[in-house]
Order: sequence, then C-alpha cells, then structure tokens
Amino acid sequence: MKIVKKRLPSGRIVLKEKKKRPSKTRCAGCGKELHGVPRLVASRMKKLSKSKKRPYRPYGGYLCSSCMRELFKRKVRA
Amino acid sequence: MASIGTGRVCMKISGREAGKYCVVLKDMGKDKENKSFVLITGPKPLTGVKRRRCNIDHLEAMEYMIDINPEANDQDVIDAMDKAGLITKLGLKRPSAAAMKVEQKKEEKPKVQEELKEKKDEKKKKQEKK
Repeated sequence: MKIVKKRLPSGRIVLKEKKKRPSKTRCAGCGKELHGVPRLVASRMKKLSKSKKRPYRPYGGYLCSSCMRELFKRKVRA
Repeated sequence: MASIGTGRVCMKISGREAGKYCVVLKDMGKDKENKSFVLITGPKPLTGVKRRRCNIDHLEAMEYMIDINPEANDQDVIDAMDKAGLITKLGLKRPSAAAMKVEQKKEEKPKVQEELKEKKDEKKKKQEKK
C-alpha cells in the first residue's frame, strides 16, 4: 500500500495508507484501454446495472470495437 | 471481397447486431443523404437483424447470393434463404409461424404512432390559426 501525508484541520500531518484502485480494463486483442467500462472496486461494480458495466455488443468489455470487427471479418473470410 | 448489392448475404460487424447474418435488399445510394447506405434485413425472426438502413462499412460481404426482389417482405426473404440452402448452411433455425406473427404485429404498431403524429400536427396547425 502506498503511504501519503495528509494535513488534518488542526494542522497536524499524519501518514495514511492510500487504497489501491483497480487497474484499467484493457482490450484482450490489442491492449488498448476500453471505453465504457467503469474503474470501480468489485463491490461497487456489483451495484451497477449490467448495461452500465460494458458496451452492449458481442465481446463488449472484453475486446475493443476494432478488434471485434477484425474477428468477425476473419470469421466470414475463412 | 464480393460487391454489396441486392440479394447479397452479409455479416454485420459493428454494433449490437455484430456477428449476425443479414441480407441486402437494395442500395440507397441514389439519394445524396443516403450515400454509402443500403437497406438490410435479417429477417429479424430468423437472425435477429431488424429491417433497417445500414452503412456499407458496417457490413462484411459473404460469398452467398440469394435471388430476391428489392421490395421483398421478410417471409419472402426467409423462403429464398431456405431455397438456397443457407438456413442449414449458416446454422440458423427457421422461425415458427407464431414468431412471424409477433413480428408482423410489431411492424404494424409504428403506423398507429404515425397516425397519432398526424393528429398532433393537425392540432398544432389549428392552434396556430387561432
């Protein structure tokens, strides 16, 4: 855990532990950051509705849109 | 890649209908507004793609072609697909008669909304006159 200095209202400086944020979700194909996926702790994610957690398309929240396109193009041409 | 014209079987590659098969009905490129657009249909009871305008960039053409009229309704398209043997080839399932009826009813609904809109417009006109 990262330790940070914080100044209290009284002027005293204390050391506090900073909580870790979850890492950004990335595309499994190209590694780009995914849009439309909130960066929240699992317990917070649970409270969101399904549509707020990922884009509404096949592989939404797993692949970026361009990688998904390439996937389907390859599927058709094969 | 094959050209996209009437009767071409395609796969949608973007949006929520991505990965689903559809048939091109007609080219809408004659209007300036609809440049690079075509009219497609799944039909919806068969593949899940509804009858709608679609950008060519969002389609990937397949090697299959079916013989249809640009004005064909969904039932005709399904029959043509069956005739070409595409329903079994693409691993689709022929929709039941009940499912087709539900879709027909859904198509009729927008007409009612249009009528309501017309009525609203008339009311507005009357108010303007007053």
